[in-house]
Parts: sequence; structure tokens; C-alpha cells
Amino acid sequence: MPAPWIFLIVLALAAAGYLAGRLRALAVVGGDIRRLHSLPGYYGWQAAMLAALPALLVMGLWLLIQPVVVESRVEGMIPEAAQGASLSLVMTDVRRVAEGLDLAVSTGVMSAAEATGLSADGTIRATLGKLGVALGSGVTPEVLAAAKALRTAEATGRGAMAAVVLVLALAGVAYALWRIRAEYRARNVVEAGVRGLLLLASTIAILTTAGIVLSMLFETRHFFAQYPWWKFFFGATWSPNFRGGSDLGILPLLWGTLYISFIALVVSVPIGLFAAVYMSEYAGRKFRMVAKPAIEILAGIPTIVYGLFALITVGPLLRDYFAQPLGLGASGSSVMTAGLVMGVMLIPFVSSLSDDIINAVPQSLRDGSLGLGATRSETIRQVVLPAALPGIVGAVLLAASRAIGETMIVVLGAGAAAKLDLNPFEAMTTVTVKIVSQLTGDTDFAAPETLVAFALGLTLFVLTLGLNVLALWIVRRYREQYE
Amino acid sequence: MNDMRLEERIVQNDKIKIDAQDVQVFYGDNHAIKDVSVAIEDKTVTAFIGPSGCGKSTFLRCLNRMNDTVAGCRVEGRITLDGEDIYDKRVDPVQLRARVGMVFQKPNPFPKSIYDNVAYGPKIHGLVRGKAEMDEVVESALKRAALWKEVKDRLQAPGTGLSGGQQQRLCIARAIATAPEVLLMDEPASALDPIATAQIEELIDELRTRFAVVIVTHSMQQAARVSQKTAFFHLGNLVEYGETGQIFTTPRDPRTESYITGRIG
Repeated sequence: MPAPWIFLIVLALAAAGYLAGRLRALAVVGGDIRRLHSLPGYYGWQAAMLAALPALLVMGLWLLIQPVVVESRVEGMIPEAAQGASLSLVMTDVRRVAEGLDLAVSTGVMSAAEATGLSADGTIRATLGKLGVALGSGVTPEVLAAAKALRTAEATGRGAMAAVVLVLALAGVAYALWRIRAEYRARNVVEAGVRGLLLLASTIAILTTAGIVLSMLFETRHFFAQYPWWKFFFGATWSPNFRGGSDLGILPLLWGTLYISFIALVVSVPIGLFAAVYMSEYAGRKFRMVAKPAIEILAGIPTIVYGLFALITVGPLLRDYFAQPLGLGASGSSVMTAGLVMGVMLIPFVSSLSDDIINAVPQSLRDGSLGLGATRSETIRQVVLPAALPGIVGAVLLAASRAIGETMIVVLGAGAAAKLDLNPFEAMTTVTVKIVSQLTGDTDFAAPETLVAFALGLTLFVLTLGLNVLALWIVRRYREQYE
Repeated sequence: MNDMRLEERIVQNDKIKIDAQDVQVFYGDNHAIKDVSVAIEDKTVTAFIGPSGCGKSTFLRCLNRMNDTVAGCRVEGRITLDGEDIYDKRVDPVQLRARVGMVFQKPNPFPKSIYDNVAYGPKIHGLVRGKAEMDEVVESALKRAALWKEVKDRLQAPGTGLSGGQQQRLCIARAIATAPEVLLMDEPASALDPIATAQIEELIDELRTRFAVVIVTHSMQQAARVSQKTAFFHLGNLVEYGETGQIFTTPRDPRTESYITGRIG
């Protein structure tokens, strides 16, 4: 039975549990709900929760764990001799044959008995080929045997899962109904269940982060097993070469990243901040109503569109009117192009965050300053901005971590040449761009040239995480000052 | 109220500091203040009393043009400070507010150190030359606000870390340091406990030796304790204005009497 069906049946059981729980609670007290501890609906909900939650939890775990168990069992079946190429390639073949057989059975080309009794002759490839399953080479007996084993193991696993999950759901309903008494505190049980659900939602986000970090860590370890870490962190040359002998120093990429982000911040922070000050302190209601959404439209533009703007407008403009007349180069893509366009992208980010923060400064502080005979701008400079500073610093650091992680604008605006240079009209590139270029195309996932992408990614992650933590720390540390 | 000896309070000084004639205030279409005329004397504490929403705070905010910062607020009539119309086009409201200081209902120290809070006004108005003179101004303002003893060892600590009563005295010190001629106080003790309130009231009485003080208060006892003149506002009208002793013992208007005896408000 396929998983979606099981899921629907469990939900149906939960719904039935709700109705049954409600009715039973009413029956227990003979229809007089004043004698119940909780409203009848709560008895229904606790039955539904007991039916659905344990069953779905078990199902989720089962779906995660079963493939791992099955594959490791099947891998054991493949003899050493067949591992000639590599185990993962053979396993891909096995999986494909198994899928092909599944397809053949479900479309009626083969009967289930034929599929299990199949022997490894040359016809398999042709049969599966007709169904659109392309197999790389001839199917060896070992692969076929493994594929069959995979199919049986999976079928057994699925059957067992369906049985376990449905029994759990039924048992949950039965237990819930059995427990119902007039004095049973269903309301409190539902409360605990809701709390558990909320907790689950918040842990998923945390677990995902942990999962991402772990997967990056594993791959990075593989990379550092093949490439010395000091050459990665202190190497000043980036020239990957898939035939071997690459220089994979991060410094040119890091330099490009920081240089472009710096220019982006120099553009976006003053403009965004001044816009926020105008919006929150000076602008009339009418202007605000028009201008605030207009600024926020900027935030809605996809970065690839900014990239196009950099490529076809800003880049050539800077080259023709600044770089060439000043003799600083003839490159259409440059650090300056990417930095300026990225800065424009970040303006709404800085301004809307700062606007909210400035608005949160209590009006009483402004009154206090104005009441002492300060002008508006004195008040803003000496009272409002210092009070809002932690929040503004937080906003700027968040903008910085966005700038560091930006890819599209850099690809189109600054090019892909890794260079250590001070000239802002020179093409340079960033960590993110190189991650993309190392992982696109036909790549060998065992070569350091590919694995370096994970080391780059992890470095970037640590960098932005550090900035975010710093931002949060600053915001928290200084927040109480005016609350 | 016999122990307060209200009858004995004699107002010696009768120089008019602020003179308001037929003041009207509108918030949009709402006519908040109607035909109010008050003459506020120098070196005197004048109390504005009245039920909530009667316009006493609104009127107070007209005296240093703080209402200018409220959108949709319009003030008509004539208010003079030392004979000069403060709503005249030539008057800079920012400069005016340096001469007519204000203390607010809720203590609102800036998120700066105690020292910088007091030094704020003198600094923006360029009243002092050099650090030594500033130290003197800060010290004397804090002393006059009866806060010096409590904070002299921690002038660099944040002003927001003080207790509510101390914060309010810090705000008074901040207002004094700017050397105003008039001090407006909008319910300065309403957020404070009785002990802090008593300290503030004592302070107000001392401040009278240097400035004209105008205080808005909800508490009639407070008005009776600290003021020499009292104005009673009701529904945007000035009902009665006179010496505090007279207002509290022999009010002329029946509405004043009702309010003072607790029948309205």
C-alpha cells in the first residue's frame, strides 16, 4: 500500500476518532455536558490526536530509515568482483533495474511472477528499454539478483509499515475511547498535545540547520583529506584543474566577496538609513503611504533581474564613462558594477528594517529633546539614532550577510575571474559564484576540485553565521537601554 | 486642609511672565481649548487642575509650542512671553523651547549617561565653554534637582538605570541645566510613589525662587501643597483662576466647588 494512502487512512481514522470521542463523552454523562470536565470537542480531539500522532510519527521515521537498511543489506550481496568500477555506480544500476521491474509490473508488461522468476539474459535490457528505462550496460546476474532482493525487501518493508501504522492508529483510537470518563481531563491532554506540536515545528528548523552543517562538514572533511588545509585557507591562487594539480586558495574569492560586499554596504547603508530617517521622522502620511511600498518593490525584484541590469546597463556605463577615461581597465564586468547594483538591492532591506527600529523609539524621548529646545535633526542625531543604534547595527549586519551570500548579481556583474586586486574596475569573483561553477556540469564527486565547493560553502556559512550571531548579540546587549 | 494654612500664602511677586489671551486650540475639527485667558506670574508656581480630558495639558503645551509637533493641531489667540508674542512668525519655536523648559508626565531620560543627559541642553545651545564649566553646570543642576548626592559617584552610569523618582529628578535637572525662564511640568509626579512625589514637590517649591513654574496635576492636594495660583479647567474652558487659597476655600464658580469637593471629575 503506498504511503499517501496510509496517510489518508490514518487521517480518516483520526476524524472517526474525533466523532467517536465526542459521542462517547456525551454518552458517558447522558448528554449533560455540565458534568464533563471538558467540552465534548476536547474528548474528540484527544482521540484524534492519539490516533494520528504516534502513527504518523512512526510512519515518518520508517520512511526515513527503511531505504538505508534495505540498501546496506543489498550492498552486501554484490560480490567483490562486480565492484570493479565503484560500488555506488553498481548500486545505481541495481536501483534502476528494480525501478524498471516495478514499472514493468505496474504497466502489465510482466506479471509479478515473471518479474521474480526473471533470469539474466539479454532480453531484460530490451524489455526495460521499451518502457523508457535506459540501462547503461548489460545486466549481470549479480545486479539482477540484487535488484530482485531490493524489490522483495522494499515490498516487505512497505507491507510491515502499513500494518504497524494502521494498528497503531486503531490502538490509539481504542485507547482514547477507553479512557473517556466524566472526570477525565481531556482539555489538559489536548493542551499538552498542542504544545508538543508547536515544539516539533520549532525543532524542525533547528534540526534542518544542524543537518545542513553536518552534511557540509562531512564533505569538507573529504576535501581536506585530499587537499592540505593551509593551502586552502592561505593560498593566493585559485586555478582549479580537473586533470589534477589545482591551486585552490580561498583568499582571492574571499577578497572578492568582501570587496563587493563592502561597496554594496557603502552604497546601501547611508542611503537606506537616510531614507528610513526621512520616512519615519519627516515624511507626511501621504508621502509615506506612497513611498514606503514603492521602496519595498525594490526588495521584491529577483536578484537575477538586478544581475541583468548590472550586465547590460551599469557595467557598460561604468566602463565607458569611468574605467576607460581613467585608464583603469576595459572590463564590462567589475567589482564596482556588482557592488553598486547589490547596494541598490540592499537599500530597501536596510531602510525598512531601520524604519521599524526608529519608529520603535518612544515618542517621549523625542518630546524630551524637542522640549529642551533641540531641533529635529539634533534630536534625531543625538537621541533617536543612538537609541535605535543597536537595531540599526543589527540591520546593517543582516544586510552584510545577504551581500556575502549573493550570487546572481556577481555572476552577471563582476564576472568569474578569481583575482586579488585593488582596482574596483577589475573583474573579480566571489565564493558563491565559485561554488556554483565547481558543482555545475559533469563533475566527479570524489575530486578535490568538486569537494572544494563544500569547504567554500562551509566557510561562507561560518562567516554569515558569525555576522548574524554578532548582530543578534548587539541587538540584545543594548536593547534594554530605552525600554 | 487647615494645616496647610492656605490663607497665609501671599504672592509677593506680581510681574507677569506669560500672558495668554483668548487662546483657542483645535485638533482637526475638535475644539479642545475655548477662550482661555491666563496671566502667569514670574517666580510663582501656577497649578492647572481639572478632570481628565479638560485640556489642561493641551494648554500647557501651547506655552512652549510643543503642539507644533502634533499634526493637525491649530492654535489661535495671543500668548506672550515677556510681552513678546510667541506665535509670531519671527519667533523660532526651537529657541522658545530653550527659554520655556518642559518636564513630562513619564520620566524620559535619554539612553545616555547621567552626565550626558544633563549636559544635553547646554551642549546643543552652546551655553558653556570647556569641560570644567560643563562639569559645574551639571553639578549645580543636579544639586538643584536634589539628585547630586545620589548620583555623584556614578555620573557615567546610564540615566535609564535610575529609579522612577530619580529619573524624574534627572529630567528636571536636565530642564534646569538649559537655564530656562519658565518651567512647564505635565503631571510630573503621576508615575511616582508617595516618597518620590514628596521629593519632587519639595523641589518644585525651591525652583520657584528662580523661575515661573507651571504644573499640571490631577491631584488637588498636590496643587494645594505646591502652588500659589491655581487655574481650574473644565471641558476646554478655564472656569476659575485665582490664588490657590481662595480657589480651595472659597471657590466662586459652582463647578470649581463641585470638583474640589469630589462631585465631578
